Amino acid sequence: MDESKLKYLNKYTDIKNGAQGKPYKTKNLAKGLWIVKPAWTVFKLFSKTVARQPVTVLYPYQKEWVPENYRGRPGLRFDKCVSCGMCVRMCPTSCIKLIEVSDDDGKPVMRPQVNMGRCAMCGYCAEYCPVDAMTVTPEYELAEYTRFDLLYGPRRLHYEGTTPGMEVKLEVTLPSDIESGNPEKRHLLCELDRPELTESKCIGCKKCEKVCPVGAIKMEEKGVNDKGRPILRPKIDNSKCICCSNCVDDCPKSALAIKEVL
Amino acid sequence: MVQYTGLSEFICGNPDWIYPNPMLNEYCPFDTYNLAYDLAYKVWEILGGTIAWLINLIWPGNPISSWLIDDPTMVLFALIVFMLLIFMVAFVNVLIVLWMERKCMGRMMDRRGTMIGLKGFLQCVGDGFKTFLKENTIPKKVDKMTYMWTVSLIVGLSVLVACMVPLSQRWYVVNYDSGLLIIMAFFALAPFFILVSGWSQNNKYSLIGGMRAAELMISYEVPMLILIATTALMAGSFNIGDIVYAQNDSLWYFIPQILGFIVFFFCAPAEAERVPFDIAEAEAELVEGWQTEYAGMKWGLIMLADYLRGTVSCGMVVILYLGGWTLPFLGDFSQFTIEGSSGIGYLLAWLPMPELVFILKSYVVFFFMILTRCALARVRTDQILNIGWKVFMPLAVINLVIVLFLRVGGVI
Repeated sequence: MDESKLKYLNKYTDIKNGAQGKPYKTKNLAKGLWIVKPAWTVFKLFSKTVARQPVTVLYPYQKEWVPENYRGRPGLRFDKCVSCGMCVRMCPTSCIKLIEVSDDDGKPVMRPQVNMGRCAMCGYCAEYCPVDAMTVTPEYELAEYTRFDLLYGPRRLHYEGTTPGMEVKLEVTLPSDIESGNPEKRHLLCELDRPELTESKCIGCKKCEKVCPVGAIKMEEKGVNDKGRPILRPKIDNSKCICCSNCVDDCPKSALAIKEVL
Repeated sequence: MVQYTGLSEFICGNPDWIYPNPMLNEYCPFDTYNLAYDLAYKVWEILGGTIAWLINLIWPGNPISSWLIDDPTMVLFALIVFMLLIFMVAFVNVLIVLWMERKCMGRMMDRRGTMIGLKGFLQCVGDGFKTFLKENTIPKKVDKMTYMWTVSLIVGLSVLVACMVPLSQRWYVVNYDSGLLIIMAFFALAPFFILVSGWSQNNKYSLIGGMRAAELMISYEVPMLILIATTALMAGSFNIGDIVYAQNDSLWYFIPQILGFIVFFFCAPAEAERVPFDIAEAEAELVEGWQTEYAGMKWGLIMLADYLRGTVSCGMVVILYLGGWTLPFLGDFSQFTIEGSSGIGYLLAWLPMPELVFILKSYVVFFFMILTRCALARVRTDQILNIGWKVFMPLAVINLVIVLFLRVGGVI
């Protein structure tokens, strides 16, 4: 048996020696009495906590400071919403659903309803909302007695003190991102992408014009067909388009597709 | 003198009685002035007098009324009130110490401790009531007789010791020349019963806890007794009052006996089985140690006994090393009398100053015990033997040698 192996064995099997291979006898017994250091540490902490309050926050009575873009429950600014359904699409837990409600004038409109039992408070809806109607709010006390009470309708989602910070701009690079070496800005889809038409597939059914929430699509006449009827093709106004891809989803012939154009 | 009738005349008035008449003493039944007994006597004078007067109103000239205001009867009932008073003081002391421990430990761990009622003080009272309401279960397979008797003895001994510690020269239960030895003997009796109790509970945790209590005792008891003997040698007496006044006359013994003070400061929590020497209880390893099978108020009383022992160990540190109820330059405040002084002197004479000084000193010692409790982890069973025999024992002997030299050299 070579020496290194013997050393290894000795290290772990010799009863007289400790686990580190050092014999117990070298241990200084007076060290066992040396309690001044921990006692002094504890005493310092004691004096500090007597002078100021301990770190414990008495939660229901005292509350921690909440940052402006704290991701509590989602909020909705009813009048700003264009019912594009971007939040429904982005929601990772699919807790958002567009429901029909009447607006201030009594007209039926589609607005998001959030199931707070499923909501993961990720704030994606607020990030990706193209018109900043969806916001985050600093509310986090959401306990209810029934599951039905957890359904937040469009009116209930309204939050009184909405500030610009709660809109959660996607372009704002997070400090944590910069710290982890990724200072690149993220971009909204509506800044880069636009729907593009494949002319040969289009049948001119005007569906895209109907579903566009911001009225960016107008049908244009492009000559006359064999039967003498006008050929209609969608014309997309890039400045108005918010790239919600409703037209892409509803196109019966898949003539529209989202492309990175800008 | 009052004329006695019947049995009391036979005991007190008979000149052939073997002992001198105890009733002839001015401070009967104590040798010297006892403040607690004085208070108790005055309380019973009001209570017993009222009862006797009321009975006499209903049945005029009945024998019970005259029996109630008879002197020996008054002494008997005053003694009962006296016992209650002494226990009440020890009990309130325990409540305050418990509150202090919870609050200070909270602050030392950067949390808040108890919060409800008078900054958390009433939480301790509430916990006491809670244990009253708990179901009193006794496991089927325990040896019921030893199970009940040992816990009664442990609690009883702790209460007895807590009541026996004198708060001052005028607040005592017994005052005899071997007082220190008696208190320490009763104090050290508990581990035997803990061992028997652990055996009787038919539970491995309890048994290990009981054995650990015995092991703990053999490791700290010997150096502790050496230290007590050293102090008695220095003061020349086992009487607690003599030890305190000897310190008042020369200097507090923690200065010449600094080694002994340090060792005793660590032996005292071991005697009371407090962290870091709570290996018999050891919540993290053994469920609740030897207290595992005790439920309801039995457990509550054990906790009460634990803290009573904690206060007693602090009191012993104060008596042996910190000058008891005396303060430097002020003594035991006997120079201040209500008649002979004015201003602050009158206030000092009116307040129970020596008792307050003693209690406050023991609180300070208890604070440092809490500090060590928070700073140190629980010792292992082999470590306590090492510390007891290899560290405390030589230090105690060195301390004894130093005191011997001081004594022989005539310094003290």
